[in-house]
Amino acid sequence: MTDRTKKIVKMFASRDTQQLQTALDEIAGLSDLLSTEKMELASGLAALFYREHTDRKDPMNGIMENAEKAMASLGMDVVDIILGHIVEADLEAVEHFARVIGNIESSIDAVLAKLDEHKDGQYAVTNLLLAIESFKDKDAIKAIDKILLFTKSDNPQVKAAAISCIGKTCRAVDTNDISQDLKNKMFDHCFAALSDPKALVRLRVVKALGEMVRYSYLDPDQVNKAHKAFRAILGMDDYEWDVAYIVRNEAEHYLHLCRSGGNNGYKSAANVDGFKQDFRVISKRELCPNTYHFRINAPLIARKIQAGQFIIVRPHPHSERIPLSICGWDRKQGYIEIIIMSAGRTSTESTNKEVGDCFQDIVGPLGQRSHVTKYDGTCVVIGGGYGTGAIIPTARDLKKLGNRVIGIVGARSKNLLIMVDELRDACDEVYTTTNDGSDGIEGFVTHALEKIIEKEKVSTTLSVGPVPMMIAVSKMTQEKGIECWVSLNAIMVDGTGMCGACRVSVDGKTRFACFHGPDFDGHKVDFDQLVKRQRMFVDKEKIALEALKD
Amino acid sequence: MSDNKPLTAKERMSKPRNEMPLFDAKERILNFNEVPVGFSMEQAQNEASRCIQCKKPECIQGCPVGINIPAFLKLVESGDVAGAAQKIRETNFLPAACGRVCPQDKQCEAVCIVGKKYDPVGIGNLERFVADYEREHNLPRQPKISPSTGKKVAIIGSGPAGLTCAYELRIRGHDVTVFEAFHRGGGVMVYGIPRFRLPLQIIDEDLKFLEEMGVKFVYNMIIGNILTLDELMEDEGFDAVFIGTGAGLPKMLGIPGENLNGVYSANEYLTRIYLMHANEFPDYTTPLFQGKKMGVIGAGNTAMDVMRTGIRLGADVTCYYRRSRDEAPARTEELEHAEQEFINFKWLSSPLEFIGNENNFVTGIKCAVMELSEPDDSGRRRPVPTGEEFIDEVDTVVFSLGCDVNPVIPNATNDLRVNKWGVIMVDETTCHTSKAGVFAGGDAVTGGSTVILAMGQAKNAAKHIHEYLAGRFDYKLDVPTDPEAPGIQWSFAKRKG
Ligand SMILES: Cc1cc2nc3c(=O)[nH]c(=O)nc-3n(C[C@H](O)[C@H](O)[C@H](O)COP(=O)(O)OP(=O)(O)OC[C@H]3O[C@@H](n4cnc5c(N)ncnc54)[C@H](O)[C@@H]3O)c2cc1C
Ligand code: FES
Repeated sequence: MTDRTKKIVKMFASRDTQQLQTALDEIAGLSDLLSTEKMELASGLAALFYREHTDRKDPMNGIMENAEKAMASLGMDVVDIILGHIVEADLEAVEHFARVIGNIESSIDAVLAKLDEHKDGQYAVTNLLLAIESFKDKDAIKAIDKILLFTKSDNPQVKAAAISCIGKTCRAVDTNDISQDLKNKMFDHCFAALSDPKALVRLRVVKALGEMVRYSYLDPDQVNKAHKAFRAILGMDDYEWDVAYIVRNEAEHYLHLCRSGGNNGYKSAANVDGFKQDFRVISKRELCPNTYHFRINAPLIARKIQAGQFIIVRPHPHSERIPLSICGWDRKQGYIEIIIMSAGRTSTESTNKEVGDCFQDIVGPLGQRSHVTKYDGTCVVIGGGYGTGAIIPTARDLKKLGNRVIGIVGARSKNLLIMVDELRDACDEVYTTTNDGSDGIEGFVTHALEKIIEKEKVSTTLSVGPVPMMIAVSKMTQEKGIECWVSLNAIMVDGTGMCGACRVSVDGKTRFACFHGPDFDGHKVDFDQLVKRQRMFVDKEKIALEALKD
Repeated sequence: MSDNKPLTAKERMSKPRNEMPLFDAKERILNFNEVPVGFSMEQAQNEASRCIQCKKPECIQGCPVGINIPAFLKLVESGDVAGAAQKIRETNFLPAACGRVCPQDKQCEAVCIVGKKYDPVGIGNLERFVADYEREHNLPRQPKISPSTGKKVAIIGSGPAGLTCAYELRIRGHDVTVFEAFHRGGGVMVYGIPRFRLPLQIIDEDLKFLEEMGVKFVYNMIIGNILTLDELMEDEGFDAVFIGTGAGLPKMLGIPGENLNGVYSANEYLTRIYLMHANEFPDYTTPLFQGKKMGVIGAGNTAMDVMRTGIRLGADVTCYYRRSRDEAPARTEELEHAEQEFINFKWLSSPLEFIGNENNFVTGIKCAVMELSEPDDSGRRRPVPTGEEFIDEVDTVVFSLGCDVNPVIPNATNDLRVNKWGVIMVDETTCHTSKAGVFAGGDAVTGGSTVILAMGQAKNAAKHIHEYLAGRFDYKLDVPTDPEAPGIQWSFAKRKG
């Protein structure tokens, strides 16, 4: 070591930022450095990059930046040293080295050679790809072919790093400086990775595609493809969004860049008569005495509703708002299906509607969709009364995910059993129970559930219907340690969380059935309170019903 | 005023303020009619003549929407009420509502120069007079609507914020659609503020006026659920969105018995009555369990409205508030009206528990008796329990503790930033949110304030939406990222310039 480098390197050991800066300034003052001296200095500088600096306000950050510049100024002679660090350095230090090498002219060939040398080492490759991200212009173009290879890697970290690298390239290289062919390849490779099972990879893909759109790398068709992909991730077309929040978030961020303006070929809701729905009754069918199945024209709700969600109905201008479950829909034809049992004033007024009549107002979809996932064991959906309809969409969703689904329908007597055939279509098997034994198993739905539990492993249950039924199922599943969802039909007003009328106690906490629910963990629900709250207005309901008869 | 010699400033100021005549408390609690009688033409002219037309009218700055107050007062004085109406309408398109519900004592009237020595000019009452005159005489309102720009804007929520934004953008020539979750428009002005303070007819005329201007209204649309913000901009071709969804998520007490039957949030109680007409049961079929002894928790404006509603429905009403009268957040006028209307106040009473019977109906309220401590570090006197407790019999309880912001839209939108109380974060200058092309204003970004502040923000947002649509929007946005950041507090100074 020469004296002058020795002196400087020694100063690098200091903790004092002032001294460090002096050392860096001295390097800048030396214009006649020998190759060996440069390497000595580079090693000294490298040690700096491994230092821990705690937060962004740390004065060390300024020093680091200047140290990067100083190291880059040493040029080609120190490239090997830098690359040596890049393939092994810790995650923080590597960023410094990456920036340094990107600022050394004509160092890209050395980087690519190193990439070949280490092509099977996951960590080395991701670090080298990170380094490539900091190159600009022609250098960056040179690297693209290599990067593209790595976008097909089996290793998700490498794959993600390569795709991220492509995104960065768009920023570094003007679209006019790069051939159409290469741009197409970049797009195709990234696009192909969209279906990767790893969220990290998909996240990087969205970002890369977004950057391509931003920097005009894509032709209109490709922009459209990216656009469609982002929409699908956000669940905008088929309502099955990407399960990973980070991916959705990124897609949402880039979505507006793709906005083509004007007609993008998607079916607009405004076509529905300027968003206005008439809520006309399309068909009406009596299921059993006092209980009707309605199809109602509500195209906007039909587009969006999911299993487990509900609507709020107001049949006439003078009516109260009552929540109703949904038992089906047709997104294309734009109708929803509900089952109404006439009991009080408002439900009676609703069932009095005939085909061609309109409901005054229907608002929805409300509440959260039912919890559906792939279970190890069987899923049992249990319905009583109107609830038999409400479990059908969830049963269908569970089945779609590959679950074995069994339905149970309970009623007092055979003539009161409803929707059994429809439920059969959605389930692998259906049991019926009647209190008087006139159909299926004699007794309650829990008798059927017990039989099923004896035979096979049950993972989850969903019950919708009268509260005593939900209580019985909750009790039984709790004893057997089986998951238990119940859909709570609390009294509601607005259905959006605004009023708190629908308060229920779950696990000792107050929850809003309309917004947090309607599905809750049956083992934690205070059913006693629910029943009593449901009875809050019984006297009034009687008066209202009497008034209707007069 | 008959002789032509102009009044001197001194003569103007020293006239006594014309107090608003009120209907007698004993009679007014028997119905839902408006409590103030309204000015006669003579009273109005006389009151308007108290304005000295000062050089630096601070009242204009004190008005969140910047009404040219001296100008309209001068017109009233000269008898040209139609001219005054037009003057007000240049900047405020809901004068009838604002004249009734604005806290003028904290705004224009608070800074009125005349008020330095005498009582300030009754600006609010005069605004109300002008608006009523305009309506009663069917004066034409002629907004100048610019030629169509071909740009589409979606407004979410039809409260004062949404309506104002719709108006401002429509007159600038944009195609405006308002989406409302409920089956009718007006927001809190309908389902919160009682009829005896703001008759429905007034709101309906304003809505009709907007419709005539070409603003489209779509009801029963819960944005976030039926259409997301992205879908609005993507599929429906809206070029910008304004969120004016208010603060609809009642704060809970978190004490035992809060879920007993007969315990309501103020929102539920007022909505059942004023939106759903439960007081006209069974002609309207929405039920309300209204007891004879009603306890109301809280002493803000909403609590006053609840109490005054309760007494009109025949209940014996008592207010429970943990601080003293001086700290009550309600406007003085509201508090006085409530006191006139035979409402009992139990100051320094902090509810501990609601007691219920076997049917889950509330039967009693248990309170701790409080006293105010010496001022603490923050200079405030806090209520501290004295150790004493009492139990009152009640069969209805309404709690009015304010609202948090409803999470429906933020939950359905990934990149709409909210703070930890759910308040939508916006850039203060432009009302732009963290999401491109989406602006917000009103209670949704303040976490609950007033009609006029909501309108002021909406006007500001509309101005910037207009620039945004014209491609002239090049602000460096500063949307807070700190989850603890407060909702924006609208200071008048900041708004100027
Ligand atoms: C009882 C009471 C008394 C008051 N008294 C006064 C007073 O005297 N003076 C005063 O100045 N202020 C008063 N206020 C406050 C004032 O009413 C509010 O500050 C003001 O209404 C806020 O206006 P906004 O437009 O922001 O929201 P809001 O008026 O709350 O309107 C929001 C609208 O958006 C709708 N909405 C919500 N979510 C969605 C969604 N997802 N999709 C579509 N639509 C949606 C809501 O249904 C509602 O109609 C009072 C408030 C209450 C509750
Ligand atoms: S129904 Fe009003 S909050 Fe749930």
